[in-house]
Amino acid sequence: MSSRGGKQKKGNVTSEQEEEEQPLQAVLVADSFNRRFFPISKDQPRALLPLGNVAMIDYTLEFLTSTGVQETFVFCCWMSNKIKDHLLKSKWCRPTSPNVVHIITSDLYRSLGDVLRDVDAKNLVRNDFILVYGDVVSNIDVSQALQEHRHRRKVDKNISVMTMVFKESSPGHKSRCEEDDVIVAMDSKSKRFSMGTDEFEIRHDLLDCHISICSPQVAELFTDNFDYQTRNDFVRGILVNEEILGNQIHLYVTQDGYGARVSNLQMYDSVSSDMVRRWVYPLTPEANFTDQQGQGCTHSRHNVYRGAEVSLGHGSQMEENVLIGRDTSIGANCHISNSVIGNNCTIGDNVVLDRAHMWNNVHISSNVEIHQSVVCDGAVVKEAVRLNKQCVLAYNVVIGPNLSLPEGTVVSMHHPEEEEEDDDDEFLSDDQEVGHSKDKTRQKAFNPAEVGPEGKGYIWKASMNDTEDEELAQCLWGLVLNPDPESDSESEASEESQDRTFQLEVLGTLQRGLEENIVCDNLVLEINSLKYAYNITLKEVMQILTRVVLEYPFQQQGTQLTTLQYTGSLLPLLKTWSPVFKNYIKRAQDHLDCLSAVEELFLEQDTHQTAMVKVLMKMYQLEILEEEAILKWFSTGATNDKSRQLRKNQGLQKFIQWLKEAEDESSEEGE
Amino acid sequence: MPGADKETDLTERIEAFLADLKRGGSGTGPLRGSGEMARETTYLLRRITAQARWSSAGDLMEIIRNEGRRMTAAQPSETTVGNMVRRVLKIIREEYARSRGSSEETEQQESLHKLLTAGELSEETFREHFVHLKANVIEAINELLTELDGTTDNIAMQALEHIHSNEVIMTVGRSRTVEAFLKDAARKRKFHVIVAECAPFCQGHEMATGLSKVGIETTVIADAAIFAVMSRVNKVIIGTQTVLANGGLRAVNGTHSVALAARHHSTPLIICAPMFKLSPQFPNEEDTFHKFVSPHEVLPFTAGEILSKVNVHCPVFDYVPPELITLFISNIGGNAPSYIYRLMSELYHPEDHKL
Repeated sequence: MSSRGGKQKKGNVTSEQEEEEQPLQAVLVADSFNRRFFPISKDQPRALLPLGNVAMIDYTLEFLTSTGVQETFVFCCWMSNKIKDHLLKSKWCRPTSPNVVHIITSDLYRSLGDVLRDVDAKNLVRNDFILVYGDVVSNIDVSQALQEHRHRRKVDKNISVMTMVFKESSPGHKSRCEEDDVIVAMDSKSKRFSMGTDEFEIRHDLLDCHISICSPQVAELFTDNFDYQTRNDFVRGILVNEEILGNQIHLYVTQDGYGARVSNLQMYDSVSSDMVRRWVYPLTPEANFTDQQGQGCTHSRHNVYRGAEVSLGHGSQMEENVLIGRDTSIGANCHISNSVIGNNCTIGDNVVLDRAHMWNNVHISSNVEIHQSVVCDGAVVKEAVRLNKQCVLAYNVVIGPNLSLPEGTVVSMHHPEEEEEDDDDEFLSDDQEVGHSKDKTRQKAFNPAEVGPEGKGYIWKASMNDTEDEELAQCLWGLVLNPDPESDSESEASEESQDRTFQLEVLGTLQRGLEENIVCDNLVLEINSLKYAYNITLKEVMQILTRVVLEYPFQQQGTQLTTLQYTGSLLPLLKTWSPVFKNYIKRAQDHLDCLSAVEELFLEQDTHQTAMVKVLMKMYQLEILEEEAILKWFSTGATNDKSRQLRKNQGLQKFIQWLKEAEDESSEEGE
Repeated sequence: MPGADKETDLTERIEAFLADLKRGGSGTGPLRGSGEMARETTYLLRRITAQARWSSAGDLMEIIRNEGRRMTAAQPSETTVGNMVRRVLKIIREEYARSRGSSEETEQQESLHKLLTAGELSEETFREHFVHLKANVIEAINELLTELDGTTDNIAMQALEHIHSNEVIMTVGRSRTVEAFLKDAARKRKFHVIVAECAPFCQGHEMATGLSKVGIETTVIADAAIFAVMSRVNKVIIGTQTVLANGGLRAVNGTHSVALAARHHSTPLIICAPMFKLSPQFPNEEDTFHKFVSPHEVLPFTAGEILSKVNVHCPVFDYVPPELITLFISNIGGNAPSYIYRLMSELYHPEDHKL
């Protein structure tokens, strides 16, 4: 292989835009290092899942080859044998391929960081290289970005270590992955990722293509910082240490072209439909860029693609954006729209398919309805089954007859519990894995109520037991409710959830303090450390603290409390925790902030508004709040109708009156 | 082994060419002009003739036909590639016939009389071996290359016969041939050119810049204004991507509306098309005729939410029926659309129409 590399260069240099001596290299990570596609990826690595009847890794390789990459290192871990087999059979490993593909497998890779550390250890890259995942679909011409990157490196003496490729796309675009929603602050002139420089623009209209042009230092930096696991870790590390190390990250924003990473099923759905709608031109189904025999298909109006030997029954309609693989037969009176159907499928009569993704060798009986679902290889759907939105039928599952799967059902031949047990040996070789699963499959019977009388498979429930599973099932379609903090490191999008967790933590601390009778000073200490852990400002700490304390009775005794009970349980609490409050409420502004937090809470709990006076009174007596602050808040704070309404509360009016008089008295006394 | 090395080099080149063809045209139609494409194909075919292993004309034709099939399959919309393959096949036939000593004249003439008397088409096997065949074929391909090099000039030379002083000429989009044609005329005469911009790719803008650089009075109009402006136009001169076997055109979209407007105002429609664009294809083969590219130009990706609610198409080509065309100007002179079939039989052998 390596001896060929030299000759390769000679043949191709003429056609390349750059006169670099070194061939352009790429590192392709054919493993996602997460389990978003479970249980599908249990049987097939994600890079080999078909998108428009072509394995995803082929799109990535075609993208790399068309940008002039001459040497690609494919790193695989999970099911590396399958990826290797696939690549050896593909056109990329033919001797005439302009892109020499080296496959490097190891079971030890657990993250992108491991891969790049290995790149460094083996000394594979000699020059700038392109870093992509095996599930990136793109037709962006990165040669421009590459030139910019090289130019920057020449001018700035290797300060720039990475250029990330972004594509412009406004919020709300369906190909914008919600988890990857980034807000980018960049120096408008130098296109540098910036943090706190004088002049920068903040953009929310960018789509991360997960294509990065890296300098060889990137691999070294990963080795130096062994705690870097993902690219996000790296980016954060570089940005934080920018001043010290002097490394910079740049952006390349493109308007043309298409680039997206299939990071979950939602993205799978939208990338697949973009592909069928020809956004990724020239990577279209009929181009047959993988050069496989019999993969060719014809393209006709309304984006209908038909492979060889497709048969369509009488009265069947392929409405629009339909791709049908070879040797597939479709019965009579079917309605197919926005769907991709693989090779060798059989579909019965009166079938309705909308946004269905069917892979190879799928059997669909008559009177079936499928909406926005994924049906994997070898699955069988029996008569009169209805798959509602976002269902997933994994490999070889049998469903039906006469069944309607509710929205979001995931059915797999693997039992979900077995999955848990195997947690630790996730990265073992696949044959061992298969052995495991076969034993288990025999042990447990299928539930006919779930998968139908003749069905085979287990339902992966969204809310199986613990939170991890919940996240998992949601993740398959990418509708994440609680995004993991990793996914949005560059953005501040997670602030909301951070506040929330902080609030929960504070609540826990106070609760414990009450139960174990901890001294208030220690509580303050704990809250302070939480403040640093979650990077919360002092103002927010105070607001959250106020909120937590005021909500405490509801938290403990349910929301059905009467006002009397509420004040009864709250007032002693205020007394106990007054030192904590005093610690945080010092300046005049703090008082106002605290008051507004109190007001906010009582605006929400409008049945308990009468309790507010008592709370304020108590806080005044405990010297948490000063009278000037209360008066100031009362006179100026009203911003909307509701708060004005609140201020008209009789009790409150009286309290304020009383305060004023008290003040007058005290001032008179002073005279 | 130098022989084996040569062969891998050849296959490498072919693969690279195929890959280029497949990627050819990201968005704005073919990246290169079809003239360049024709030349490149012919170079490659000459290389195949020189380096591939063959002993008789039959073998060579088989090899070229196979490669030609792959090339046309790689990018069906690029008809010039197929045309050049057919030209080379025709050359091989002729050279073979000459080597055998039979007169190629009789081979060529497909008269009605001959059709009736001959019974079947020639069942020539091309199996005889001739020592000089290779050199002769390469020589003939070289001649073809010189012809290709001169096409644009040959067409431009005829400009003065068609463009007169103070005329208003309309053109659409950008065609290298038309650009050369107009520039040539501008050396002697003054005239006004109106360029339809040809959305969504707007190659018309490029064309207008090119023309105004040499001092031609140029106006760019939106495609929607074509009909309104047509009444002032003396002649419409356009280029095309392919000339079809029936004398129709497959040209950049927008051309059909220009042709219809010209017909309505009885304005002559002149097509500048070199001979290598003449294709034996008829306009009924749906899957190869159309070419849809990324809808990006029509509705940009940045448009966001709306994209999930609409279908956007971006076709590249229009079909213009032969009735709308007044005259073809090719490198061998002017011809009416009705004469195209004749040129076709001169350029290509009937057995090669289908590769």
